[in-house]
Amino acid sequence: MKGLLAIEWLKVKRYRTFWVLIGLFALLLPIWNYEIASGFLQLGSKNSINIIDTAYSFPGVWGNLGFWGSVFVLFLSILVIIITTNEYAYRTHRQNVIDGWRREQFLNAKVLIVFALCIAATVFLFLLGVIFGVINSGSLDGMFTEIEQVGYFFLLSLNYMGFALFIAIWIKRSGLAIGLFLLYAMIIENIAKGIGNHFMDLPLFNLLPLQASDELLPFPLMAMAKNLINGGPSVSMNTYVIVTVIWCVVYYFAAKLLLLKRDW
Amino acid sequence: MQSCSTFLHLQSILSIQNVSKSYGPIRALNGISFDVPEGSVFGVLGPNGSGKTTLLGIILDVLKANNGTYSWFDGMKHEDARRQIGSLLETPNFYHYLSAYNNLEITAAIRQHGLEDRERVLKLVGLSERQHSKFQTYSLGMKQRLAIGAALLGSPKVLVLDEPTNGLDPAGIAEIRELIRKLNREGITIVIASHLLDEVEKVCTHVAILKKGNLLLNGPVDDVLRSEDQLEVKAADMAQLERVLQLMSGVKKIRPADGMLQLTCEGIEPQQVNEHCMKNGIVLSHLQLKKRSLESKFMELTN
Repeated sequence: MKGLLAIEWLKVKRYRTFWVLIGLFALLLPIWNYEIASGFLQLGSKNSINIIDTAYSFPGVWGNLGFWGSVFVLFLSILVIIITTNEYAYRTHRQNVIDGWRREQFLNAKVLIVFALCIAATVFLFLLGVIFGVINSGSLDGMFTEIEQVGYFFLLSLNYMGFALFIAIWIKRSGLAIGLFLLYAMIIENIAKGIGNHFMDLPLFNLLPLQASDELLPFPLMAMAKNLINGGPSVSMNTYVIVTVIWCVVYYFAAKLLLLKRDW
Repeated sequence: MQSCSTFLHLQSILSIQNVSKSYGPIRALNGISFDVPEGSVFGVLGPNGSGKTTLLGIILDVLKANNGTYSWFDGMKHEDARRQIGSLLETPNFYHYLSAYNNLEITAAIRQHGLEDRERVLKLVGLSERQHSKFQTYSLGMKQRLAIGAALLGSPKVLVLDEPTNGLDPAGIAEIRELIRKLNREGITIVIASHLLDEVEKVCTHVAILKKGNLLLNGPVDDVLRSEDQLEVKAADMAQLERVLQLMSGVKKIRPADGMLQLTCEGIEPQQVNEHCMKNGIVLSHLQLKKRSLESKFMELTN
């Protein structure tokens, strides 16, 4: 297993796009959050109402960073699509097998790099949270309250990047895969959710692949509003955690099935 | 000599049994079976679209056969076998943004070889000077050279080369053919797919001829052609000569050409023909064994 990740590392460590996208994620996420925390970035009217939560002290920082992180994770998902469809474009997916990999090793190597990216992104988010939290709280008090949101961010990243990996393996072509991925993540799923939940007593369409994780890290003020209003029956966080894990397993086996059956 | 080489060729490196493959309604391979003997240069010959690359894709596990089996090195696990085989399938496949040097690092890692060989193969294929340039800056010929270099990494016992001289200039083609002969002399078995007769004829010891997914012929190049050898004979009285030869067993066909008779024989040597004529009172003024070129055979078979 270590060997597979080492080989993936050889493939990406000199790939400029890899570092540019990771750099953008690592640069833009803190700048974005800094602007929100300082009130530069607002949604509402200037100097009066701002519907973006500006609480970056403990423990509010976790929910805020987690939500915005869940948006910025799109960068990393696109990166996963690019490095995977590159293999098809260069036909190196064939060469890897010709040189001695089993087909599932090709998949496992990509899964390992997805895990590595998720862990790195989660550690990065945690460190950002500590820095924002300490600056705005003045101490580490309450740091571990609501820290489970960091865990949610990890699961969400895994879900998004796992989905991206599956789409990339399924579609093979970079442009189409990225287009479909974004279309699904931002539009199709929301349409399905809106229509579906309208006709349901329980919001079961929240359990759609990416939405299941989105529910773990909702728009911060929305979460607060939901708690205040108590708007009818809802699905527990644990359910969303379990469903997210199930989706990740589904992506893996679906991708594996495709890879084992198909001509390369 | 014959028995010695027969003994050497007893063991087969690759055994293909009844392999078939369809792409939808198109039958790309139709029950192909043959063995590749150890130490041979085995040519898979056929015109474009005859199924050569499909066959190589199957034995390298990138394509799935609908039917049939194959085994490397007497049933070694396929992925272990592939690590010991240097392969070039269809096009040179490398990471465009990496140099030759860094691409070979990945090849070596997957094949579980060390890196000590890298400089040697780069030099062997003449890429030392450009080894640190990105693959995307290479010409077609350089890409092909890198692919051959990658196949040679770690001194594999078997090479599988699909159209290895594609994109090379004449000097490059000659170099690669010389390299193939040299490697074969060192005991490496080479499977080579080509649509170039000239190439197969020049370097191969064995040949399998494919046409539209069917195996037409296979065996040692000499054997495959020997039964079709032709004798040219000439004598003062051509009519008498023809009458005499018609009576000889083993002479299958007589065809007058260029003032001579061309004989298609089976199982008889030139001296037997000479003896037969002498016994019947004819002195031959010309007797020549003509190996039929693979080309004429190939054209006849595939057209």
